[in-house]
Amino acid sequence: MTQLRRHLRQTLTIARRDFVATVFTPIFLLFLFAPLIMASFGAVGGMGAASASDSSAARTRLVVLLPAAAARRVLDADARWRPLLAGDSRQPRVEARTPASDPARQAAATLAAGAHGHDSVDVAAVLYGPLDRPAVLYAAGDRGGARYLAGLARDAALAERAGAAPAAARLTAVQTSAPSQGVRKATGFFAVFGIFFLTLFLSGQVAGTMAEERNNKVIEVLAAAVPLESVFLGKLVGMFGVAVLFVTFWGVVISQLGALLPGDVGDSLRTLAPAVGGGWFALLFGGYFTMAYLLLGSVFLGVGAQAATMREIQMLSLPITIIQVAMFALSSAAVSHSDSWVATFAELFPLSSPFAMAGRAASDAALWPHAAALAWQALWVAIFITVGARLFRRGVLQSGSPTPVWKRLFRRR
Amino acid sequence: MADNGIAVSAEALVKRYGERRVVDGVDLVVPAGAIYGVLGPNGAGKTTTLRMLLGIIEPDSGKRRLLGSDAPRDVGDRVGYLPEERGLYPSMTAREAIAFMGALRGLEWRTGRARAAELLEAAGLGDAIDGKIRKLSKGMAQLVQLLGAVVHRPDLLVLDEPFSGLDPVNQERLEALIRAEQARGATILFSTHVMQHAQRLCDRLAIIARGQRRFEGTVDEARALLPQHVHYVPHRADPAIAALLPADARGDGEGWRFQLPSDGIEAVLTRLIAAGHGIAGLSIERPGLHEAFVRVVGEQEARA
Repeated sequence: MTQLRRHLRQTLTIARRDFVATVFTPIFLLFLFAPLIMASFGAVGGMGAASASDSSAARTRLVVLLPAAAARRVLDADARWRPLLAGDSRQPRVEARTPASDPARQAAATLAAGAHGHDSVDVAAVLYGPLDRPAVLYAAGDRGGARYLAGLARDAALAERAGAAPAAARLTAVQTSAPSQGVRKATGFFAVFGIFFLTLFLSGQVAGTMAEERNNKVIEVLAAAVPLESVFLGKLVGMFGVAVLFVTFWGVVISQLGALLPGDVGDSLRTLAPAVGGGWFALLFGGYFTMAYLLLGSVFLGVGAQAATMREIQMLSLPITIIQVAMFALSSAAVSHSDSWVATFAELFPLSSPFAMAGRAASDAALWPHAAALAWQALWVAIFITVGARLFRRGVLQSGSPTPVWKRLFRRR
Repeated sequence: MADNGIAVSAEALVKRYGERRVVDGVDLVVPAGAIYGVLGPNGAGKTTTLRMLLGIIEPDSGKRRLLGSDAPRDVGDRVGYLPEERGLYPSMTAREAIAFMGALRGLEWRTGRARAAELLEAAGLGDAIDGKIRKLSKGMAQLVQLLGAVVHRPDLLVLDEPFSGLDPVNQERLEALIRAEQARGATILFSTHVMQHAQRLCDRLAIIARGQRRFEGTVDEARALLPQHVHYVPHRADPAIAALLPADARGDGEGWRFQLPSDGIEAVLTRLIAAGHGIAGLSIERPGLHEAFVRVVGEQEARA
């Protein structure tokens, strides 16, 4: 048996053990359904917040104190603009009331009655005066509603001057042959975010895997039979198998739930158009996800292996997350400025390279840089594993009470 | 294969941790098929020596050869190892743990599982085959680990302090297993600081102290480092007997004690009989390996 085959066999033996030990436990179900649990909590919280917000919005009004014809025009303008307002831009219902002899005083009274709860509804702003000299009185903090009313008054005045509401434009969709720069950047960002999201959950987990061997004292049995590099790589591959299982499970679930997604979301996804083509993009996305996982995982594994206790490993979770977010930010910047030195740096720097290159696949059709990048990233995986294994060997596999390298650095002479 | 009948050899092995020379020029030659003991007090450098021989750590200088190879890793599949710090995955069953250790050494999982069941039955642990390691007693778990070290039928079995933590029954089982492995043709190299086991098992042994080899040879050769003691009881007490005995003879109330002279006991006995003192009792006590060990490493270090 050649050395390579032996190392491969040993690596897969370690990977198999870790995969089985991780997956065939009840705790794994918790991990697998963690996104569902997170989404459920998010949904419940979101529904609560939305309910509170809707309830508040339903009780709030923008009041128009204008003669009937003018008020009619303002309400028509509201009907035209309201469908375009979504999310935080949505405005309270517009309500027309008959103006009194002194509209300014009436407006102040209306606003005050709403503000002090004497009215059955809250009043955010009041529009009064003739349409060619409109005035808006608004409660401090509701400037948005006031500006909306001002806009409606202007639109209504223009319609009054023109004698009719302006004609609505006819909308015609045309398929363009090449995606725009904006679409490519959006695709690139989607790729960067996708890899970041997957690695955020998964690669940090490997930090604590060597702790099991240290605590169970199995490490010497492994080290005697298998090179530590194979132990490290085996652990990485085993946990990558867990990650692939996780991604596959949720990929299948989401693909089956795709039909239930709102039409806008499906349409948005269909507009994503990578420069290298859909097939290559999917392949490269898988490749870069693998590399991102192995690169970040090998760093976290090597660093985590130096930690002696679970407390030390838990302390590592914050710097791990910071590193991941930093790589995401760097790669996002690279996607936004694809010809800049930031992009070049992000594509070359080992830990950000998979993210940035996935983004590049969306905006640049050339394939050879990806072959070079994957080889470059694989080289760094090997370097990180080798260095991590050596540090571990020096720190742990010696007689007596070994002291990790990082602790020795700070030890008093 | 072992070269020229030598399974393991080490030449001037050195390992330093900081300023300390943990192993300081150790030489070893372990004949193929032998049971070879590495004896030494705690902290003598036994574990570090074994780790260097196995390639777990690299020596700072010196040479080592394992089963005919200068690279211990290359023959790793032919070696079984029980480390001093026992360790198994608690969530594994005994069968899986043994098969896993076999798989690390190149044994097929299926074969490993089948052999694991056989070995566990033979070791009297048949009830624990599919029991989780975490539910086994410490001694049983240790036996499981030992079975994991032999499941792939290694040519060389290296055991670091194999008897520590075992009760007398399991110590006997372990001795039987070591002898069975030797009978199968394996070479056994083990470290210990418990002399009884070494005395019963070892064909050859080395005594290490402060990282240096102080003795190498057979058990008998080690015991021969110390003189034998004679206890002579005459028919009746007579102070004149002292003149017929070696100069170091001391009375103990019942008789006389002295070291066996280098030219034998016959001349002394002839003198005593000729003088009419007769022999009511005579015993010659050979020193044990423990005494030889204490002599080699020194009283203070032997107590370490």
